[in-house]
Amino acid sequence: MTATIGATAGPPPQKFRLRAPKFALAIPSIIWYVFLFVVPVVLVLVNSFGTKVAGTPGKVDLSSPTLERYREVIDGSFRTVLKQTMETSILGTVLCLVISLPVAYFLAFKVGPKAKVAVLALLMVPFFTNYLLRTLAWKIVLQPKGFVSNFLQDSHWFTLGQTLRDGPIQVLDSRTAVQLAIVYNYLPLMIFPLWVALDRVELHLREASKDLGAGRIRTFLQVTMPLAMPGIVAGLVLVFVPLSGDYVTAKLLGGVKGNMIGAAVAEQYFNAQNAASGSAIAVSLIISILLVLAVVAGVAWFAKRLLAINRNVKVPAR
Amino acid sequence: MTRRDNTTRILISEEAAQRLARVVSRRTFLAMTGGVAAAAALAACGSDEESSGSSEGGSDTSAGGSDTSDGGSDTSSGESTDTSSAGGDFDKTINMFTWAEYDDLDLLKSWGDIKLTIFNSNEEAIQKLVQGGGSSGFDMVVPTGAYIPQLVAAGLLKELDKTKIPNFANLEVAYTNQSWDPDNKYSVCKNWGSTGWIYDTSVVTTEIKTWADFIAAAQGEASGMTSILDTPPSLCGMYFWANGIDWTTEEVADLDACEDFLVNDFASHIKAFDSYPGINLTSGSYALSMVWNGDARQGLIGIEESGGDVAQYKWGLGAPETELWMDNWCILEEAKNVDAAYDFINFILDPANSVTDLQFHGYNTGINGVEELAGDVSFKDMIFFTPDEVARLRSGAVNTAQDRLVEIYSNVKAKAGG
Amino acid sequence: MTATNAIPSKPSALRKVGGKLAGLVLPGWSALVIMFLFTPIFFLVAMSFNDFKTIFVWTKFSTHWWGDMWDNTTMIDALITSIEVAVISTIIALILGTLAGLALARKPGRWTTGFVALVLLILVTPEIVDGAGQLSWFVKLEGPFREGLTPIVLVHTVFSSAVVTLIVRARVAGLDARLEEAAADLFATPIRGFFQITLPLVMPAVLSGGMLAFTLSLDNVVATSFVSPAGTTTFPNYVFGLSGGVIRPEVAAMSTVFIVGTLIAIVAVAMVLRRGGQSGTEIATTFTGN
Repeated sequence: MTATIGATAGPPPQKFRLRAPKFALAIPSIIWYVFLFVVPVVLVLVNSFGTKVAGTPGKVDLSSPTLERYREVIDGSFRTVLKQTMETSILGTVLCLVISLPVAYFLAFKVGPKAKVAVLALLMVPFFTNYLLRTLAWKIVLQPKGFVSNFLQDSHWFTLGQTLRDGPIQVLDSRTAVQLAIVYNYLPLMIFPLWVALDRVELHLREASKDLGAGRIRTFLQVTMPLAMPGIVAGLVLVFVPLSGDYVTAKLLGGVKGNMIGAAVAEQYFNAQNAASGSAIAVSLIISILLVLAVVAGVAWFAKRLLAINRNVKVPAR
Repeated sequence: MTRRDNTTRILISEEAAQRLARVVSRRTFLAMTGGVAAAAALAACGSDEESSGSSEGGSDTSAGGSDTSDGGSDTSSGESTDTSSAGGDFDKTINMFTWAEYDDLDLLKSWGDIKLTIFNSNEEAIQKLVQGGGSSGFDMVVPTGAYIPQLVAAGLLKELDKTKIPNFANLEVAYTNQSWDPDNKYSVCKNWGSTGWIYDTSVVTTEIKTWADFIAAAQGEASGMTSILDTPPSLCGMYFWANGIDWTTEEVADLDACEDFLVNDFASHIKAFDSYPGINLTSGSYALSMVWNGDARQGLIGIEESGGDVAQYKWGLGAPETELWMDNWCILEEAKNVDAAYDFINFILDPANSVTDLQFHGYNTGINGVEELAGDVSFKDMIFFTPDEVARLRSGAVNTAQDRLVEIYSNVKAKAGG
Repeated sequence: MTATNAIPSKPSALRKVGGKLAGLVLPGWSALVIMFLFTPIFFLVAMSFNDFKTIFVWTKFSTHWWGDMWDNTTMIDALITSIEVAVISTIIALILGTLAGLALARKPGRWTTGFVALVLLILVTPEIVDGAGQLSWFVKLEGPFREGLTPIVLVHTVFSSAVVTLIVRARVAGLDARLEEAAADLFATPIRGFFQITLPLVMPAVLSGGMLAFTLSLDNVVATSFVSPAGTTTFPNYVFGLSGGVIRPEVAAMSTVFIVGTLIAIVAVAMVLRRGGQSGTEIATTFTGN
C-alpha cells in the first residue's frame, strides 16, 4: 500500500537555501544609517575643528584645523549656557522621575485591567500631541495677561480680598518657564518606560515579599525597585539625553535667560552663519552629557558596592 | 490506506493554528502588497519629480495651495486667480520671503495668492537664501537696503526690467537711486522706517528722550523686562548712537568698546531679543522695548482694540541719532513667477493700494503724495516724521564690521543668559 | 522542628492609616498629573475660539477663525507637506525597519550587538546634533538634497526606522520560529514564506511601528528646521517660524485639527490591533516604543 501525500508527481523541488550573510536583511538599514546618521555626526565632529568662512553660511574652512572653536566654548560665554543647560536637564530629569514614579506605580499595581487601558489611553493623548504645539500652549498658559495670571490676581477667587499675586506673572522668557515646560514635555516619555519596567516585576515576587512580612515601602525599595532598575535607568537616559539637547522649548519660552545649548547651536548655524562654532558647541554638548552619565554611573556603582558591603546576609540556623 | 484528497496536514500548537487560520489568502495578500508597493513607487516618483525639478517642491505645494485658495479669494473679494495655464496669462501666485505683519492680508488677497514666509532679521534671510543655493523656492524677498549688495554679489537677485513697472514713477525721487542700489537695478522701495523705543509708563517712570535714557532705564527700572531688536546692527547701534559714534564705524577700538559695554554692563538686563515687541505689546511681557516705528504703532492699535489703555505706553523715536532703513521689493533670480512678481510690484506702487498697506503696517511707503492720501490714519505722527526727526536718521551699511557685529550679538546673547 | 521565623503580626493601626492614605494619594496624584498634562492642550484649543488677532490675549468668544483658517494658504500648504512627508517617510521606515527587525530576531550573530548599538545611538542622540550634521552634509552634497521634500523625508526616516526596527524585533522574537521553518520544510521559497507567513504574523508590530513612525514624522521639528529648503515647510515648523510675529487663532484652530487628526489615526490603528487580538496594555507598550 502506498501513502500518497500531495498531488505532485516526480521528485520534490529543491529546498531553497540562500547563501546570504546573516545580516543581509539589515543591509539597507545599515547603508541608510551610515549615510544619514553616521556621516552627519562625524561631519559635525570634523567641522568643529574648522573656521568660519566669512560671508558664506554653512560652509566651513577646514584647511587649517584648529581647536579655536573649543577654546571659544570653554573660555567664552557658551560655558555658562552649557552649565545652565546641564543644570536644567539634570533637575528636569530628576523632577520627571519623581513626578512619574507614583503614576507609574499606580498604573502598574493599583489599577485593574479595564481602568488601566482607560488611564493609558488618557496618558497617550499628550504623548502623541505635537511637541511644538504643546510648548506653544505653555506660552499661552504663562502669559502675563493670560487666564492663569488674571486668575491668580483676581480677588474674587481668594478670601479676605487677598490675591495670590500682586502683579501679572512674569514667568515667560526665563529659566523657570523652560524648566517647567521641559518637565512637562518629557513627562510622558518618562511615565511609560517606568510603567513598563514596574509592570514587568512579577506579582508573585512582590507577594512573596509581603508574605515574608515586609511592609509596602520595604517591598517597594528592596524588591520592586531593584527588579525594575534596568527599565528605570533606560527611562532616565531616554529622557536626560534628548532633554539636554532641547531647542524648541528654549527658543519659544526661554527668552534670553532661559537659553539652552541646543538653541545656541541653532543660532550659530542660522544667525551667526558659523557652522564651525555650532559644531564645536554640539560636540561639547555630547561630551557634557557623557560626562554626566559617567559620573552618575560611577556614583551608582560605588553606592552599590557600599550597600553590598554593608549588607550582612545571615543564614538562619536550622 | 490511500488518501485521495490533496490536503497536507500539519501538527502544531493550537495558538499557532489560530494565527495561521487568520492568514489572509494568498491572492488578497499579493493584491495588498502590490497596492502598497505601487503606492510607494508612486510616492517615490512623486518626490523624485519634486526634487529633480529644482524648486518644483516649492511650486508644487503652491499649485496645490492656489487650488484651495481659489475658494478663499472667490469668496473674499473680486479678482479671481486664474490657475489655468492655457489662458496665456500668468498665475497670480507668489512665494514671498518677508518680515512679519508687513502687509495688509486683505489687500494681498485682492491681488492674488501670496504665500508669506517670515524672517526676523536680514542675517537670517540671507542665511536661508544662500544656503538654499538658488533653489529656496521663493519668488520675492524683502531685504533691507544695506544688505542688497551682499545679495547681488551672491547672484541671488534678478535685475529689474522697469518697463514692466510703470508705477515706479509714483515713488518720490528721494526714495529711489540709493547708494546701495544705484538706478534701482535690483530693488524697488517698499517702505522706509526707523527705530525707537516703546515703554510702559507705569513701570518706567522717567521719560525717555535719548538712547542714553533708554540704556539707563534698561539698567534700572526696566531691568530684566527689556527687549532688544533681534538684529546685530540694532543692538550695537544703540551703543553707538548713545555715545555719538557713527554706527557704521569699522574702527576696532569702537567695536571693542561696544562689545565691552554690551557684554559686561548691559547684557544681564535684557529679557529677550524680539524683533516684533509691538505686535505683542498686548501681552505685557516687556516694560521697555527697542522697536521699529510701524511695529510700535501696530502695538498701540492692538492695545486699543483689546480695550487697554493706550496712554500707558509711550513711543519715542531714537535720539540724538537713530537708524534709517529702507525695505525693498526684490525679485529672486530663481523666481518662477516673474510676471506675477512684476504685476504685484506694480500693483502695490499704485497710490491707493500703497495707502491701504501703509494704514496696516505703519511705515512710510515713499509714494508721491502718500501723506495727504493717508488722511486721518491713526497715530499718523508715528508714520510721517517731522523734518527735525528726519534729520536724526542715519542709513546703515554692511561693511567689514558686520562679522564683528554678529559676534558681539552672539556674545551678548550668551552672556545675557548667564 | 520549631519554626524560628515569627509569623508576621497583624498590621498596626499606623500601617492601616498608611494604607488608606496610599490608597488616596496615588490615584489623587495620578489624577493631578493627568490634569497637568492636559491643561496646556486645553488652553491651545480654547484659544482657537478667541476673537482677537493673537492667541495670547483673550478678548471674546468667536468661531470666525475656524472659517478664516482655510484662507491661509501658506499654513494649508505646510499641513499638506507635513502629511506627504509623513506618509513617504513612514513607508520607507517600515521597509527598512521591518527587514532589519527580522534580521535581528531571526539571524542574530556577531553583527547584532553592533547594529543594535547603532540603532540605540540613533534613538538617543539629541536631535540638534543630528540636524546640524545632516544640514552640513546635505549642503556638501548639494543637488536633490537641498530641494523639495527629499531632505525632510530622509531626515525623518532615520529615527522612525530605528523605532520600527526595535518594535518589529520585539514582536518577531516573540513568535514561534518553527512556523517559518515549517513553511521552509513545506518547500516555500523564502520570499513566499515571508509574505505568507512572517509578514502577516508581524503585522501588528508593523502597524504599531507604522503608526509611531507616522506620528514621529509629523512631530519632528528640530531636524526639519535645519534641513528643510527655505520655501518648504511642515506644519509644526510653520508654527515655529511664526514665533517671532503674531500667532493668530487660526493657527490654534489648525493645531486642534492636527492634534485630533493624529489621535483619530492612533485610535484607528489601536482598534485594528485590538481586533487582531492584542490586549490594551500590549498596544500601549508598543505605541510608546517600549
